[in-house]
Amino acid sequence: MDIKSTPPPPPHQITNPSRRAFLAWAAASPSKPMLAFHFLRSLSRIQGVTPVRRRTRTIRRAAYSSMARAASPRRAWSRALLGQARARRSRTLTGRALLLRRRVTAAAPAPPSSPAARSARIIAAGGETSAAARPLPPRQVGDPPRADALRRLVPGGAGMEYCSLLEETADYLRSLRAQVQLMQGLVDLFSCQ
Amino acid sequence: MSSRRSRSRQSGSSRITDEQISDLVSKLQDLLPEARLRNNDRMPSSRVLQETCNYIRSLHREVDDLSERLSELLATSDMSSAQAAIIRSLLM
Repeated sequence: MDIKSTPPPPPHQITNPSRRAFLAWAAASPSKPMLAFHFLRSLSRIQGVTPVRRRTRTIRRAAYSSMARAASPRRAWSRALLGQARARRSRTLTGRALLLRRRVTAAAPAPPSSPAARSARIIAAGGETSAAARPLPPRQVGDPPRADALRRLVPGGAGMEYCSLLEETADYLRSLRAQVQLMQGLVDLFSCQ
Repeated sequence: MSSRRSRSRQSGSSRITDEQISDLVSKLQDLLPEARLRNNDRMPSSRVLQETCNYIRSLHREVDDLSERLSELLATSDMSSAQAAIIRSLLM
């Protein structure tokens, strides 16, 4: 697996190695402290406010939102993720009456879904529109065969040209990997204290 | 490559060459986890896209998994002091 993993620290040094490793990870590249800052800030808000049963879903959304905030707004995937979050908040606030499709949410693919039933339940419970309700992105002409699967996976991938899709995918992949490393480092850190 | 056919259909202002596309595809290939195992021979682009999709899906699953573990940890331990210490050391 591509994740940085710290070996379990000996009992008498319980906090220092994980924290050192975490700070070393954060210093590795200029974007990582911002990622950590946004995510940790969301986490501390969640800890105070959210009821327990919806915490996993809220944390997952906070992960994607903080990832998008830490990225440059030039990136289409970042704008698409933040647009999805905004649309979800306004849907929650005004109920089912507000189903008006803004261009961003209509063009953006369905939120990241996973084949595992557990994750599907988490996503469905949020009241997000299912893939059946949202029109599938039209297949663009001249695409190589696997490109439409990629378009569904990368946020905002539906309306792009193939060339931009490849660039956005590379950037999205880097950010996603950094986010996973961050969360893994936090889990290591917090489970040792 | 089938993109050679698509090039004649491009009507945009910028002509996107096969070379640019294969350049981007090789950059994607370098991001994949198994890129370090091989000697970075060029995989066919369909294979690269397939592996990229699989990798993105596995990363999404990991985010779900880690979110669940973090929510358990948030419930059981008081982290505010640890979080404050981390943020302080990150921002200094």
